[in-house]
Amino acid sequence: MAKSQAAEMVPESLWSGGVSPFGVSWQKLMMWIFIITDGLLFAGLLAGYGFLRLASPQWPDQTQVFYMPFIAFMTFVLITSSATMGTAVGAARQRDRRWMVRGLVLTILGGLIFLGCQAYEWTHLIHQGARLYTNPWGVPHFTACFFVLTGFHGSHVLSGVIILTITLIRTLLGKTTPEGVEIAGLYWHFVDLVWVFIFTLFYLL
Amino acid sequence: MAATEHTHGGYRLYWVTWLWLLILTIFMLGFEVLRMPRFFMVLALIVFMLVKAAFIAGNFMHLRFERLNLIVTVAVGLLITGAVLFVLIYPDGLRVLQLSRTS
Repeated sequence: MAKSQAAEMVPESLWSGGVSPFGVSWQKLMMWIFIITDGLLFAGLLAGYGFLRLASPQWPDQTQVFYMPFIAFMTFVLITSSATMGTAVGAARQRDRRWMVRGLVLTILGGLIFLGCQAYEWTHLIHQGARLYTNPWGVPHFTACFFVLTGFHGSHVLSGVIILTITLIRTLLGKTTPEGVEIAGLYWHFVDLVWVFIFTLFYLL
Repeated sequence: MAATEHTHGGYRLYWVTWLWLLILTIFMLGFEVLRMPRFFMVLALIVFMLVKAAFIAGNFMHLRFERLNLIVTVAVGLLITGAVLFVLIYPDGLRVLQLSRTS
């Protein structure tokens, strides 16, 4: 009795956060924290690119180096794969297994097409003489930025494809949960989000 | 959790978002073709880029359906850090450019 009275007299701190301050499971929260840290990694890489770009007296015209309709196609593929991933997440929430599998398969397919396009783009540039610190366009930093930014992003796409393939197998075995699909989806959408920044800041500006 | 509220209407949200992203991307590519003044083109591209990012985070990642604590933790942290990085780097980059021109 005396103990409960004492507890009533001590007000709960405004900063205690309650039981679940973010209102999500720890798995989903961990994915969000990972996304924040990975986002900071890409922010650092893009800031480094921005510095080199500003400090360079000249910079190649991207439309002369890249075939922009091809880059636009890559962007289209990634945006579409995000929509199919969203469909898979929505289907998982509604326990619609058929659309969940379809959504995951289409997203994996989109990821593979994107990776194929990136491999083609890299091969094409390497055949033109582009290396990490030398290239025919006279600005060594240009290809360093290109290979680092798109390479890091491509490795994330590859990781995403692997994560989604595991999720698909687990779905087919009936072992995945709707939240498992949602967390895999969060990672995939993050990969799409990063591409929005790379596409604008590296290819268009 | 919060995501269940908007999935009952099917998958419309995702495909409407996809359409908006597609339209914005076409506009961004159009700026290149139009050969607008450099300043306006950079401004328009950055605004469109941020709108696209908001569409992806808000609708695809369901961030706008989450609790305010999570939204603030994710968005403010990333936006402020990103902005500070660029604000600190911008003058230094220009200074290096001036030094390379004078030397």
